Amino acid sequence: MFWLLRRNMLPLYLNSVARRPFASSPPPLPPAPLPCPRETHIWYVVPDELKDASRLNQYMELLSPCERQSVLRMNGERLQKGALLARTLVRTTLARYTDGRLSPKSFKFRKNRFGKPEVEWDNYDLWAPPPLQFNISHTSTMIACGVTLDLPIGIDIEEKQRKTSNDILSLAHRYFTSVEVAYLKTLADPECRQSEFIRLWTLKEAYVKALGRGFSGAPFKDFTIRLEASNGKQVTGESKSDGPSIVVEAVDDPGILMNRWKFAFFELNSHYTAVCMERDVKNPADGENNSLKLKVWRTLPFVEDECVTETDAVKNIIR
Amino acid sequence: MAAVSATSIRWKDFECEVGFYGHIKENLTLLEAKPETVEKVCEIVKKQLALKDEIVLTPDSKFSALGADSLDTVEIVMGLEEEFGITVEEDNSQNITTIQEAADLIEKLVQQKAEA
Repeated sequence: MFWLLRRNMLPLYLNSVARRPFASSPPPLPPAPLPCPRETHIWYVVPDELKDASRLNQYMELLSPCERQSVLRMNGERLQKGALLARTLVRTTLARYTDGRLSPKSFKFRKNRFGKPEVEWDNYDLWAPPPLQFNISHTSTMIACGVTLDLPIGIDIEEKQRKTSNDILSLAHRYFTSVEVAYLKTLADPECRQSEFIRLWTLKEAYVKALGRGFSGAPFKDFTIRLEASNGKQVTGESKSDGPSIVVEAVDDPGILMNRWKFAFFELNSHYTAVCMERDVKNPADGENNSLKLKVWRTLPFVEDECVTETDAVKNIIR
Repeated sequence: MAAVSATSIRWKDFECEVGFYGHIKENLTLLEAKPETVEKVCEIVKKQLALKDEIVLTPDSKFSALGADSLDTVEIVMGLEEEFGITVEEDNSQNITTIQEAADLIEKLVQQKAEA
């Protein structure tokens, strides 16, 4: 039975707290080892896998009052469920990396000046919390949370089947750089062009989210993302070479690659997924040739976790 | 008659919030848009976001509550531009957060274009 929560109704848990003692706390989450310096960990939830109303109410109890209000402001049950699962995913994911010391409920968040959420850590006497950074993205069928240790990260996901209402080249002319438009024009097959457009869009989104500026703070027209072949040449529709890598350069400074950022692009659960992470410049071992390492888990918080990194769920990785 | 200068689109993609911003050169109360304009905006938004029938769109519906991502937002903008024959430019300004506010702004743009 779907979670019944009409806009004007109190969530069920509030009624139940008034009438009887608080139900038992959720079971602890299995602790997870911290990401290594070059790693991004990704945890994802499939909303359709969660139908249990009492489970959803349990999740609601993890949120701050402000987050609960935001969930209830969403228009309709499906969007409310999505918003609830997004906050639940962030809180439970971060909690996993604190070795049982912090519960999902105890996290506090703030926003940077562009609106990017980040963890606000308390001061603890005998323990230094890990400097986790995170970012989330969602569609109606999946929510993903990426986590790194102390390095800016951006993630963006898009359903592979997503079709645009407007013509691809119209969108590209408006929002992409001339290099990117030229690349899209080399693709004669409309389906190929469609999927490459979505790939570029998700990569650009992941980059501006990693920057911490978002779409409004870092205009898409100011930077180009492209595939660079191992011989340094631009990859076009015709030429496919082995091991191309994803690079970003400023439109004002073409040819100067912004090496601080590394990318991964792959297919996950019928979604195109783009991840952008800052290189660990403090660590001399994280040289320019070291690509982004990924670990991926599918989760139903407090129900089950499944590591899918080396499985078919994660496909066609390009870095 | 006041002129409305370049309009703008901004959105907070980190929390899937969407807001339309409009810049008003002189202090003026915006007259409310015609119901047909509001209806048209609702139609375009509903279609772009593939909103199921359970979603009730009213003039007061907030964009931030509709789950639009940045690609949805740009598509909505382009759809509105095409429908109303206007151009929306990038700028920073006052927040427009509801369907009604977007419709009001569109009508101002249309009017400005007609007067140009």
